[in-house]
Amino acid sequence: MATLNPPIRSASSRPPSLTASARLRRLARSYTLRVFAQAVVTVWAVITFTFFLIRLMPGNPVDVYIDFLMNQQNITYEEARARAASQFKFDPDANIFVQYGEYMGRLIQLDLGESITSTGTRVIEQIARFLPWTVFSVGLGLFISFILGVTIGTIMAYLRNSWLDNLFSLLASILGAVPNYIWGLLILIVFGVQLQWFQVGALRGTYNSSLTPGFNLTFLLSVLTHAALPVLVYVLGSIGRWMLNMRNSTIGTLGEDYVSVARARGLPPSRILLAYVGRNAALPMFTLLAIDIGFIIGGSVIIEELFVYKGIGSFLFWSISQRDYTSMQGVFLVITISVVFSNVLADLLYSQLDPRVRVGGGEK
Amino acid sequence: MSESVLRIDDLSIVYRTARGLVRATSHVSFSLAKGETIALIGESGSGKTTLSLALIRMLPAAAQITSGAIHYTRNGQTRNVLSLSPGDMRAFRWKECAMVFQGAQNAFNPVLRIRQQFADTAAAHGIKDPEVVKARTLELLRLVRLDPQRVYDAYPHEMSGGMKQRALLALGVLLDPQVVILDEPTTALDILTQRAIIDVLNEMQKRLNFSIIFISHDLALAAEMADRVATMYAGEIVELAPVAEMFYRPHHPYTLGLLRSVPKLDQRRDDLVSIPGDPPNLIDPPSGCKFHPRCQFATDHCHQEAPPLVEYTPGHFAACWHTDKVAAARSGFIDLKEVKKDDRS
Amino acid sequence: MVSQAAPTHERIIQTAPPRLMEGLLRPLRVFWRALRQNPVGLVGFSGLLCYALLITVGPLLVPFDNIVRLDQIAAPPGSRQVLLTRAEDAARYTTLESLAGRTVGYVRETGGEAFLRDYLRANPDAFQTEDTRWRSGRGVPDAMQALADGEIDALVVFSESVKRFIPHDPATPFTNLVVSNPALGAPHLLGTDTQGRDIFSHIVNGGSALIYTALLAGFFSSLIAVTLGSLAALIGGVVDNVLTSIANFVLTIPGFPLLVVLASLITLNNMVLLAALIGALSWPVLMRAVRSQVLSLRERDYVEAAVALNLGLPHIILREILPNMMSFVAINFIFAVTSAMYQQVGLIFLGMAPINDYTWGVMLYFGRTRGTLFSADSALMVLAPVLAIAFFQVSMVLFARAVEEMFDPRLRTAK
Repeated sequence: MATLNPPIRSASSRPPSLTASARLRRLARSYTLRVFAQAVVTVWAVITFTFFLIRLMPGNPVDVYIDFLMNQQNITYEEARARAASQFKFDPDANIFVQYGEYMGRLIQLDLGESITSTGTRVIEQIARFLPWTVFSVGLGLFISFILGVTIGTIMAYLRNSWLDNLFSLLASILGAVPNYIWGLLILIVFGVQLQWFQVGALRGTYNSSLTPGFNLTFLLSVLTHAALPVLVYVLGSIGRWMLNMRNSTIGTLGEDYVSVARARGLPPSRILLAYVGRNAALPMFTLLAIDIGFIIGGSVIIEELFVYKGIGSFLFWSISQRDYTSMQGVFLVITISVVFSNVLADLLYSQLDPRVRVGGGEK
Repeated sequence: MSESVLRIDDLSIVYRTARGLVRATSHVSFSLAKGETIALIGESGSGKTTLSLALIRMLPAAAQITSGAIHYTRNGQTRNVLSLSPGDMRAFRWKECAMVFQGAQNAFNPVLRIRQQFADTAAAHGIKDPEVVKARTLELLRLVRLDPQRVYDAYPHEMSGGMKQRALLALGVLLDPQVVILDEPTTALDILTQRAIIDVLNEMQKRLNFSIIFISHDLALAAEMADRVATMYAGEIVELAPVAEMFYRPHHPYTLGLLRSVPKLDQRRDDLVSIPGDPPNLIDPPSGCKFHPRCQFATDHCHQEAPPLVEYTPGHFAACWHTDKVAAARSGFIDLKEVKKDDRS
Repeated sequence: MVSQAAPTHERIIQTAPPRLMEGLLRPLRVFWRALRQNPVGLVGFSGLLCYALLITVGPLLVPFDNIVRLDQIAAPPGSRQVLLTRAEDAARYTTLESLAGRTVGYVRETGGEAFLRDYLRANPDAFQTEDTRWRSGRGVPDAMQALADGEIDALVVFSESVKRFIPHDPATPFTNLVVSNPALGAPHLLGTDTQGRDIFSHIVNGGSALIYTALLAGFFSSLIAVTLGSLAALIGGVVDNVLTSIANFVLTIPGFPLLVVLASLITLNNMVLLAALIGALSWPVLMRAVRSQVLSLRERDYVEAAVALNLGLPHIILREILPNMMSFVAINFIFAVTSAMYQQVGLIFLGMAPINDYTWGVMLYFGRTRGTLFSADSALMVLAPVLAIAFFQVSMVLFARAVEEMFDPRLRTAK
């Protein structure tokens, strides 16, 4: 190195690096914007879709509810209709598009109406009560299965065609094939009921109800133990996909020229594993992440019901079984919005890791 | 061209496959002097790439070195590359011997900026001072005639194929290696870009005085780049000679065949002769001279006994029992006036 | 040219029939050879064959047991009614007839009650009965004690209960009691459910509706995906944009919650409707894959030729493109079926899909709603369908993976 001539800083070096990086930043911003715009359009479409679905469906919930009120409380059609209108927050005589407009207007103010069954409770408050638990358990499950699955998948790729790889491949196929609620049932029956490793009843709910929520160890421990089963099931249900996908992706990446060149360059194996193999092989995982988020949140309806975990999924089921349509509509919207914005998050994460996306645009 | 930096002695490599042992290179010996360029020519599967991968010990797991040594000399100290510890081997790669693979299109990690990949390489060999690395990187990028500021911060996908190839050459000499292996450095590039790369290479070699092992099918390119040329056939060096000797007076029928199969501008198409037959089976190679089944001069002797590599004129080695017949045949083919005089000694 | 073309044409016609046979048989032979070399795939394939037999032949052999037997509620697996006597009476008391004038005991809620009632209705004065209460498991040893003490002459009890106390329980060994008739009642391989019905017969009969619905849903999903994917790729332009946006939209909506919401609005009492609904929500992934596949196939010469000859979209899709994607579509079909199974059983488990057929899903539903899931003795009512569903899904996926490896040379060499 020392023998080299010092570089001459040429005055004619045209685009200063600052402009180049600024341009990249601007492109990144526009990618972010586009992703957000797509998400907003999707959310709007879902809102519109559910609105018209619920209003125009034969035997739509409004009519069903009016019917129910008339029978249950022996009131006239008009009275029942007025009651329904106040709870669903709509003017039954107005044109459906006017209703739609009003509905959208209220949505923007985060007004999802009142619960039908528990009068006086605003749907948004109930959602605020249940959503965090689902975000917590689903997020934790996804995080654990992603990290574990990607790590194991990488190991499998490095040891490809060994007995360990074959065993893990088989295991991953089985894990992925069996529905997550089936894993849940198996765990309950085998470990809870037969082997009595844990008390099934004691783990219901989101935390031990005798405790007052707060940032103390007992409460946090209670939260973790109560979330353990749902999280375990989310992990079991999706880790197989991460393992297999990461394995195949890593095997593909290991064959890339830049990995051979990195070895020829004498880079330490750890650096090659992380920055050259791992990072490139993990990129496709982020598009899968988006799909998996929707899948796990969707499955949470069953899992939370199975483990009596009071999250948004079990609330959706509850509102449906109670025919509480305002709650149902609100919860479904919130679930969709969380999935859509989780997708946005995954997209942005992806774009942070892959410079080609930021500039190249929307090809996936 | 005095001291040798690399000396390969009797190197044999086999691949273990399901169908048997593939003898990829057999008893290869040659040495490379400081600043010298040696070109390895031959068909696909003749062992050129295996040989070059062995130099930095990046052979696939199925490969096994069955004999030989690779002696590398720097500052009067000579080490056998084949007996370096894994740690020493990692230090040896790129610092002493850099390899520019074919297909530079994917040689750079797509998610890291060029500057990071230069810095990675430097850091792996103990050069951590960012200012030093940056200065050296910019200088080398300029040397390969790239816009240093722009390429320095660029991602690989923002560069064209020719730019990437040049950046890879710059990366290749980042650590001032004594030996640079170039494996088909210009395939998949258009003719103008090829030209530019060759010019850059020549200029760099003049400035930095490294030795080159140049692997190519392209005889014209080899003729232009090399000081000496080695013809490989079925894993063996069958002819080794200074470049002018090799192209004007080939002693081995295979070299002659290669030269004949290159089209020339003023040649009629039917004069173009391809070498008959198929490349040899390396699992069960022919007896005697491995080329004899395809050789027009072959006799029973060739069938029974492999010819040794013999020095016919100073520096010109060939492994053939019938160099006299080859000489007679080539006189009808090679017109000396046709080939431009090579300006290097 | 013309004179040359004619004989060629004739030759093709002549050789066509054997070629056709060969064309049909060869893929099967290749398939079988490839499968034999893939143990995992072979396991999956055998599993699927078993399920195919189970849902076609099974119901003919084992009819659905719908007889409510209150005396056999929660009978343990493998159980049947046996007659238990003291060792010295073993030769005398072997049938209910031989017990005329004696006292026969049974344990309430575990067996014997209804069994004996039926017998006594036909023979009113045959023998006297004496019952013991179940009392959290103590009933059986109490009744055995009564038998050992000579208070009763015989005991009608579940074979599995007998096994538990003779002679394994060191506290109450009952060494002088023996089974004098091991086959009084019908055996229950997997025990009985909360109504005393044979669980094994439910497993045999409870798969067909689920599997047919899942297959139908997979078919709908693949059909939509292949049609829309090919159209998007072949027509391109606005159509492509619109279809791709729709696919992305459907992909983003969490399918299962939507299905649950829809199930609450429509009565899903129809297998085809349920399959159609599941299919209509699960096509986008395959559709996007088909689209990109067709886009690359489109570049091939034979498709370009068909387009240039203006052979029409259906022809191009059915004759030129689909045959080249068959393996790919087949694999995705299998995955679509497993996903349909997931959604369908999930819906039934929650009670959102109607319970017309007594399927594995309904067994899970009852397991949840009737709480048998949480009782150690009756868990098999849930465990049996859980395993039936799990093995079905595993067989499908293992088979799909084997097919994938067969058709994807990249995976094959990686193997």
